[in-house]
Amino acid sequence: MIEFLTIPGVILIVGAFLLPFLPEKIRSSVFLLFPLASLYVVITTANGYSFGIDFAAYQLQLIEVDRLSRVFGIIFSITAFVAGIYAHHIKDLGQQVNALVYAGSALGVTFAGDLLTLIVFWELMAVSSTWLIWARRTKESDGAGMRYLIYHVLGGGILLGGIIWHYADTGSLAVETIAQNYTFANVLMLVGVCINAAVIPLHTWLADAYPKATITGAVFMSAFTTKSAVYVLIRVFPGWELLIWFGAAMAIYGVVYAVICKDIREILAYHIISQVGFMVCGIGIGTEMALNGATAHAYSHILYKSLLFMGTGAVLYATGTSKIVELGGLFKKMPYTFGLYMVGALSISGIPLFNGYISKSMTISAAGYAHVEAAQLMLLLASVGTFLSVGLKLPWFTWFHKDESDIEVKKLPVNMYIAMSIAAFACIFYGLFPNALYVYLPFDTDYDPFTIYHFVETMQISAMTLAGFWLMKKKLAGELIIALDVDWFYRKAAPATRLVFVNWVDNFFDRVEERVIGTARFLTEKFKNPMTWLNPFTDRSNKADGYSPAMDVVMSFVMLTFIIISILYFL
Amino acid sequence: MNWNKFVWTVIGIILAVTLVLEFTYLAGYDSHWWNKIPAFYAIYGFLCCIAIIYFAKFLSKNIVKRDIHYYD
Repeated sequence: MIEFLTIPGVILIVGAFLLPFLPEKIRSSVFLLFPLASLYVVITTANGYSFGIDFAAYQLQLIEVDRLSRVFGIIFSITAFVAGIYAHHIKDLGQQVNALVYAGSALGVTFAGDLLTLIVFWELMAVSSTWLIWARRTKESDGAGMRYLIYHVLGGGILLGGIIWHYADTGSLAVETIAQNYTFANVLMLVGVCINAAVIPLHTWLADAYPKATITGAVFMSAFTTKSAVYVLIRVFPGWELLIWFGAAMAIYGVVYAVICKDIREILAYHIISQVGFMVCGIGIGTEMALNGATAHAYSHILYKSLLFMGTGAVLYATGTSKIVELGGLFKKMPYTFGLYMVGALSISGIPLFNGYISKSMTISAAGYAHVEAAQLMLLLASVGTFLSVGLKLPWFTWFHKDESDIEVKKLPVNMYIAMSIAAFACIFYGLFPNALYVYLPFDTDYDPFTIYHFVETMQISAMTLAGFWLMKKKLAGELIIALDVDWFYRKAAPATRLVFVNWVDNFFDRVEERVIGTARFLTEKFKNPMTWLNPFTDRSNKADGYSPAMDVVMSFVMLTFIIISILYFL
Repeated sequence: MNWNKFVWTVIGIILAVTLVLEFTYLAGYDSHWWNKIPAFYAIYGFLCCIAIIYFAKFLSKNIVKRDIHYYD
């Protein structure tokens, strides 16, 4: 039994079961112990360790540790810990329990040695994270949470369908690399995973739900769902060429929408899509360097994106709004939040000495070495957009732009500052010492990001992005709007969908029911007393329910014959 | 604070340093076709920035912009 506790995901889920029994005062503090425990287990478990059980006719590998799963396990545990500190002031038991289950199931996916274990944790992740949206308890979050849940249940179903088909084809449930081959089974699995990775056009759940999640919930969500899907893509679908172009396209798609968006958390949500695009592109390239780059970028991304969500969450917490048009001039009131946010912003923009630089340059270089130059230029274009929105537009319109904000600013809990500081420290630490991350990457590497070429490339691009922003910043402000996205098809189409799949089906069943009952009524009326129409010599208006001796005799004979035949048959 | 002066100074310094580096250390560097174009990354960065803003504005104005209560 004790082996179950060597599974990092299980540690967190057991923790979630224990939390409700603890007094409210110590609950948020005890919360932090479980990610620490799982971090300890992840680091100390040797490569190649595995533990399985027999379930029905299957051998389930609940945990399998190798370099790839370890690096994801480390960052998932760290983020759960940091986000736990950020949420330390929260008393809502539902959020705490679900955050732990959510982090635990993301870890479960990471270490799953077979596809059945993986799909169980996969679905658990969808259900528990939905709670973090609903916990905001607004009308918008209710709707968004439901759409999110339906989307992920659909994605999970597609993935499960693919897994079953894959098992039927190959007889293997192992989570292992599948060579590029677009069979039905593989495509179903790929689409299921791509839904969680928010690959366009399957990304709308993310931009819809994340800005509406709770302040602390969004920090957890920014880390787990998409990155666990990236992990599965790295493990199962490396080198699938289609991913190069979908990745590069979503990198650009995200930044363009981020320019349109006027809500600071929505901007960040679209930038998750964009950043995951870098990783997906790297996975599509599929060389060792590209897979290292995708892994490193996932690691860095989790750190700086959680920091960014913490920073904007702090603004939302303090001011009560996340609309660009209502913010501005907050610098004097929230200088520390600004400083910490900027660490994340410079990291995501890939500025040297911050952690985005060490992973983004690796991914882009991998595209260069593989001579996929079109993809390389697309990713560079996306980097421009990243710096433009997250590094310039968002902070400018939040902390500067106006002289002084007249918004009443609520004091932030200390734990928020602590959490942001830890994440900011990590961003700078890895930016200065990239090898601290590189040694954990799935393949050995001697990559050095600190070359003059990369420095010149990054700094020229960033400087001129700043110039572009500065000249055109007036174009970037504006009222909060809804930017239509692919979700239009299912949100606006809801009435039509209801008409086709609910009303029409209902009508059809109604009609059929009517016909069936009508026929039954007709037949019973006619056959209750067949004498009325069998015997032409009787009175036509023979009462149907009246007693008829002749009929009685006939029926008795029928009955007797039936009984005799039955007895003969059974003898 | 004079933002204008600050921003343009920062841009100027970065450009000066990187251009010097480009024409000295990276003079013989030739890995992609665009390495032959002087200050390519600066030009590319600026053009991309302008392109993204205009493209996003175009999209927003003509296709995707809706009132905030559109889905209610």
